[in-house]
Amino acid sequence: MSTDALRLRPPNHRVDHRAIRWWTTQSLIVTVVLTAIPLVPALLWEPVRPWFLLAAGILAVVGLLVTVVMPRWRYRVHRWEITDTAVYTSSGWLWQEWRVAPMSRIQTVDTARGPLQRAFGLSSVTVTTASAAGPIEISGLDHVVATEVADQLTDSTEAVPGDAT
Amino acid sequence: MTSHDDHRPEEEREAGTGPVDEIADPPKVANDGDDPNRGAHSREVTDGSADEPGGGWLGLSGLSVWANTTVVALFMVPSAIVGTIVLVVVGQPWWALLPIPATGAFIALMTYIDMLRLRAIRYRVTAERMEIRSGIIAKAYRSIPRERVRSVDVAAPIYVRVFGLCTVTVGTGEKVGSGGDQLKLEFVTAEQGERLRRELLQRGPSTSTLAGEGEARARVEESELVRMDPRWFAYAPATTATFGIGFGVVATLIGANAQSGGRGWLWISEQAGLPSAQEVSDFVMGRLALIVPLALLGLLLSGVVVLLVVAVETWWDYRLTREGDGTVRLRRGLLTSVSLSVEGRRLNGVVLREPLVLRAVGGASVQAVATGLEGGDEKKTSAKSRLSPAMPRARARELGTALMRGRHSPLDVALARHPRAALRRRFTRAGIVTLLGMVLAGLLGWLHMIATESWWEAARVIEENLVPIPVVVEGVQVTPSWGWALPALFVGVAAFWYAMGSYRGLGHGLHSDYLVLRHGMAIRDTVTLEKSAVIGWRITRSPFQRRLGLADVSATTAAGAGMYTVADVGLGQGLAWADEAVPELLAPFLERVEGEEATKGPSVSL
Repeated sequence: MSTDALRLRPPNHRVDHRAIRWWTTQSLIVTVVLTAIPLVPALLWEPVRPWFLLAAGILAVVGLLVTVVMPRWRYRVHRWEITDTAVYTSSGWLWQEWRVAPMSRIQTVDTARGPLQRAFGLSSVTVTTASAAGPIEISGLDHVVATEVADQLTDSTEAVPGDAT
Repeated sequence: MTSHDDHRPEEEREAGTGPVDEIADPPKVANDGDDPNRGAHSREVTDGSADEPGGGWLGLSGLSVWANTTVVALFMVPSAIVGTIVLVVVGQPWWALLPIPATGAFIALMTYIDMLRLRAIRYRVTAERMEIRSGIIAKAYRSIPRERVRSVDVAAPIYVRVFGLCTVTVGTGEKVGSGGDQLKLEFVTAEQGERLRRELLQRGPSTSTLAGEGEARARVEESELVRMDPRWFAYAPATTATFGIGFGVVATLIGANAQSGGRGWLWISEQAGLPSAQEVSDFVMGRLALIVPLALLGLLLSGVVVLLVVAVETWWDYRLTREGDGTVRLRRGLLTSVSLSVEGRRLNGVVLREPLVLRAVGGASVQAVATGLEGGDEKKTSAKSRLSPAMPRARARELGTALMRGRHSPLDVALARHPRAALRRRFTRAGIVTLLGMVLAGLLGWLHMIATESWWEAARVIEENLVPIPVVVEGVQVTPSWGWALPALFVGVAAFWYAMGSYRGLGHGLHSDYLVLRHGMAIRDTVTLEKSAVIGWRITRSPFQRRLGLADVSATTAAGAGMYTVADVGLGQGLAWADEAVPELLAPFLERVEGEEATKGPSVSL
């Protein structure tokens, strides 16, 4: 192989900075719930208490570690870009994913906000193609930006003829 | 909750190209016949049926109710009769009056509901759309543009065929409600089914003349791609499941015996003058070297028989033809005859499938990569996409080439190897499996050493309850404890052999019109996918792949499995391949880097 090699450049735009807080909150909730599960038998059942407390402790430590590391890591990875011809996104933290879909193959564009995203003023844009590979999602965008992105995508895809397969 | 726009409704947008419309309440067409526009419109295009009220709306065949009723009756009436006899025998004559009338009433009710359902379903095919109305209480109306019809599947199970009926399944390449992308008509007459098959895949307004000379022309131009060769049935038992299926048959018999508390075997041996379980057990223990291979042979044989029967039922009278308009038509089946038509333009490639055992005996089968064959999940999609039974590899390649209509076959393209790092990943996994096997074997060996006679006795009792002839526990007990090392060794060797084969299976290449990719050890698939069918790329990297400079590069498509992946390819290699395959799509997002840094990926990946 030559000394030159190809790689993907990061998409142009980062997601909103508030996404870090959103992911942190999400992760905290999951950690609390998972830790609570072994705590219940630990409180009710004397003989196995140390074991369940140990399990709860491990879950809590791992969960908190993820809560500290994951959101910042995600913020460095999650990016998006829309050109005249395509949508390009990157996401993930340990396992990372890059997606490209041409404008001409986009079927639907949705924006959605869960209660948690709403609390932080965030929104997700979901771009569906005809593929079973799953939609492309740009999550953690500022609500206004998300609406603009969706409008822009809708306009661009309407301009392109064909049935998107 | 600080944002000023908290209460704005969630937004949903649909980009221009409207997919299948699903409308809860039908528009005006619900009132049969009082919509002159629609009636007039469809009169020009639906031949023959145009004079019927409702503007060309057709119903299902009235016989379908009787088909359903017959099947229900065939299952329920005998059990009702048996129930009556049993009740009479045990001295409950009053209760004995119940089963038959109850069954009758139940069947009558089912038939009545079925009649209502039948009456509610109406369909029609106009020049532009196929429309279906259904539902007794909750009305539903569905309309698909005809240009979105990808495939038409006409199936006739035996109990439907005797009534001259068939099921028509229309694949649309769009999600239609839940469970895939298909509309089903159960049942229409065979003649209607055949006409639907032709009409739906026929484009343009020529529908009305179709019944005449058009049909005749299409028949003349039909060319046969392949026909069943009875010798190919010999490939059917070449699966890894053969032993498993045989084991399933034997396990069912043993299970039935255990259910009867061992009396089943006792009864049979008394009737036939066979020795008791104890005697058989002693006999077996004396001649393990002879009995074990014989038992395995028995398992194999019963598996072979089952698989042969299934293959004959599935692939009997198999023919694959291409019709005048490019439609590929598959016909097969003994009891359930199936006819599947895929529009030529929607056949975006083929899969040459070589499962491990079949590969070893030089066989392969062909599947379609087409839109409109989705079955809800990957397994069903794969089952629907089968275009051939197991056949000789060379013949399968020939068929694949014929389906793609190129002079230079994409299946002959030389495939690029993947980096050694991909092999290292597989060896690491094999190493982990080996280690686990060793730990488990060590543990079992240790238990074996410390086991006392009472433990063995307990194990034997458990086994005796399951199997009439307990040999396993006995066999294990007489083996020395270091014997556990043998399975561990076997697992290790198998794991590394699998890893090597899995690496050898990896490959990717390009043809002038197709992407070609290959992967898999247990099932080796060589996939060809038309370049024009690629509707996006997905690149994923795990932490391990980032460390080794590897990536999974997937082409997403509307056809077949929806995504085809080149696994563990070098990042630069994979991106170059994708860029060359579909120029201009990926190019704006690629950058060239030098030397060492190349494999590290984007700077954002920690």
